[in-house]
Amino acid sequence: MTRHPANGLDDTVHQRVRLGILTIAHQARRVEFSYLRNNLELTAGNLSQHLGVLESAGLITIEKGYAGKRARTWVTLTKAGQTALAEEIAQLKLLISQIERAGTAPG
Amino acid sequence: MATEAAYPGDDPDRLLSNTRELAQRVRKDQRATWFPLLVFALLTFASIPVRRYSGHHLDCLAVPRVCTVYSDAEFVYWPIALVLAYVAIAAFYIRRSRARGVGTRVRPYAIAGIIIAVALTGVALWEVHNPPVHPLGPNGLAYHLASPGAAIGLALLVLAWAERNRALLLLTLAYLAAVLVPITFGWVQPNPPWYVYPAVFQGSVLLLGGIGFALAQRPLRSPAP
Repeated sequence: MTRHPANGLDDTVHQRVRLGILTIAHQARRVEFSYLRNNLELTAGNLSQHLGVLESAGLITIEKGYAGKRARTWVTLTKAGQTALAEEIAQLKLLISQIERAGTAPG
Repeated sequence: MATEAAYPGDDPDRLLSNTRELAQRVRKDQRATWFPLLVFALLTFASIPVRRYSGHHLDCLAVPRVCTVYSDAEFVYWPIALVLAYVAIAAFYIRRSRARGVGTRVRPYAIAGIIIAVALTGVALWEVHNPPVHPLGPNGLAYHLASPGAAIGLALLVLAWAERNRALLLLTLAYLAAVLVPITFGWVQPNPPWYVYPAVFQGSVLLLGGIGFALAQRPLRSPAP
């Protein structure tokens, strides 16, 4: 019996906002808190919660600093984060192809 | 603000298409393609008076009849100008990246650009003393490859890859074709105004490309925080 691709989805990564954070961090390499907040249309509190979950899972690192007098928070994807994102995308593609095959199957 | 606005649902198809959309948005925000194109257009146009008002050497082989014309000032102007240009481009991208809050992919471009510029200058210096016997053969191609225009074009290919920018890839291929298959077929007359034509043509391609990208990327610029 083959394993259903939905079982391969990691709850930490599969959550839609966290998947968005990982995607942006992957493309950007290093991304600022306000950029994530604006692009994901989140409140600061909500974004902080999701960043906390990803940091605890070791998928991102958070670095706080200053640019002039402005406090800045930078997010960087870890190696584990890159792997988790790649696996999530692969599982999603697999899931879609299985749904499509089931939709075209006779009976 | 609602989370739902950015992510309509957990449907895998939608999640995947939203992921692609977000990745494309970040790439567009990272691009500043117009800046290096305008810098190199400026350098190309500025090289015309450097060549015009500096001394020239004309070395000819008797058999076959092949002449090479070169200017000492260009061997000083181009390596310095190219290295300074890459430093300025990297500084511009980093400054812009800090203002926007999104990382930049300029490092491989700047490093590759400097390496290519130095390497092709070395090859060009060697070729001055070893001119190609058959200008339109493989050696002739190598002769054009060891030129400032080719150094700019090859590095732009790296930028097109780093920025995942198909429009820049197409422009760069057209530009490299203009450099490698010059309107004079490489046999530039030593007297003005013939030798300025390739520089004017190549500079114009870069300038028009830079203006085009500036216009195309302008609406995507968000105000600095």
